[in-house]
Amino acid sequence: MMELIGSILVLLGAIFHFSAGLGMLRMPDAYTRMQAGTKASTLGNTLVLLGLAFYHPGWGLKLLIIVYFVLMTNPISSHALARAAYGIRIPLAGKTGIDALRDVRRKRGGRK
Amino acid sequence: MISQIVLVTGLLLILIGLWGLLSHRNILRIIISFSLIGTGTHIVTVAIGYVRNGTAPIIDRTLDVWGAVSRVVDPIPSALVVTAIVIGMAVTAVMLAFAIRLYDSKKTLSIDAFTDSKW
Amino acid sequence: MIQRLCVAVAIASFGLVFASLAVGYTEQNSLRPLAESYVRLVPHELGAPNVITGILLTYRGFDTLGEVAVLFMVAASVGLLLGARRRPRGTSTRDRASESRASSEIVRTGADILVPLICIFAAYIIMNGHLSAGGGFQGGAVIASGVLLTLLAFPQYQPNLEFLSITESLAGALFVLVGIAGLVMAGGFLDNRILPLGQFGAFFSAGAIPLLSVLLGVKVGCELSVILERFRPKKS
Repeated sequence: MMELIGSILVLLGAIFHFSAGLGMLRMPDAYTRMQAGTKASTLGNTLVLLGLAFYHPGWGLKLLIIVYFVLMTNPISSHALARAAYGIRIPLAGKTGIDALRDVRRKRGGRK
Repeated sequence: MISQIVLVTGLLLILIGLWGLLSHRNILRIIISFSLIGTGTHIVTVAIGYVRNGTAPIIDRTLDVWGAVSRVVDPIPSALVVTAIVIGMAVTAVMLAFAIRLYDSKKTLSIDAFTDSKW
Repeated sequence: MIQRLCVAVAIASFGLVFASLAVGYTEQNSLRPLAESYVRLVPHELGAPNVITGILLTYRGFDTLGEVAVLFMVAASVGLLLGARRRPRGTSTRDRASESRASSEIVRTGADILVPLICIFAAYIIMNGHLSAGGGFQGGAVIASGVLLTLLAFPQYQPNLEFLSITESLAGALFVLVGIAGLVMAGGFLDNRILPLGQFGAFFSAGAIPLLSVLLGVKVGCELSVILERFRPKKS
């Protein structure tokens, strides 16, 4: 029974990883590609590790620590990449409506 | 059965990296293809050393010394791959340094701009 | 068109070779004789529970020394390629202002939390090389990733290149000296029986293998940090 739940969770995680790859292919510009890659693959990682925790209940605490590390590092690295891409002026997609960073910088009057 | 799936995955990665190497024009994408070929080779090397129903060659509470010989996978390919991964990262650093110098000289990242040595 | 055809022919021929490899592959049922002798010898003669580290640092220790030499050559070539870079001519004031831009608050906060954890984890991997999975090379790579995070989060941080170069050279020289000590005092080059073998599975055991792991970790960490430092944009 626990193995069935674990297997279903691992399968869900694999589906999320696949959707991350699909999103990276189909998104229009660099920023949306980064968003698709990071969010979906972080969730896929978390689900796969949770499924493993159901398979081997003795490893639960260690897998929880690994999930914590993944949640700490993936978003930070993606944020740094997106800021760097904005800094070297990679163009946004044509259909973009709001550019929040430009508005904030213009309001503060300079680079911050 | 398991090691056959892993072996085919590694060989597929090498093929994809080779295709990317030959058909892209951007230097950074060529460097990423090199990295893919390296990763595929590591996976193939580790997959070859698999012994049926074997476990990791580390002797601890679950694997005693006397029964180790019949129940572990081959340690030699793993030992080769451990250093190969770090060396692969260092070689990628050299390729990126080359890419920076090429960009400084011609201000473009496409290898079609470097036709000086063709006769 | 011709180029795409040539690429397709090349990929197809490689695919045929790989397919014949994959089809003719059968799983082994038992270890090959060399691997069996290694698995039997490492716990008995070297006293190390981790067979892979015993192979890397004692039986194939000369290959590890060669890999260290390859890393040194890579660091030297990156220094040669990127050390003489001047700021490219024709930069406007806009680029000059952007080079002194501080990193964002999220990255700084994350670095404050993560860098101590990374350093502890790297020390744990290096010191546990002979007991469980780990060793010098892997720990050195983790140290370099911590240094990379610090370089990204605090752009004013200048690691002392002289100190790193001297440390890495000292670690490399000590590695060779320990090897020669093995030649003098025990069986051969990089033999680990120059220090007492100790109790199997204890922290201070397996002779000189922890010492070699630490030296290797320090050398690889400093080497990769020097390589990463060279990639920063120069301020003139």
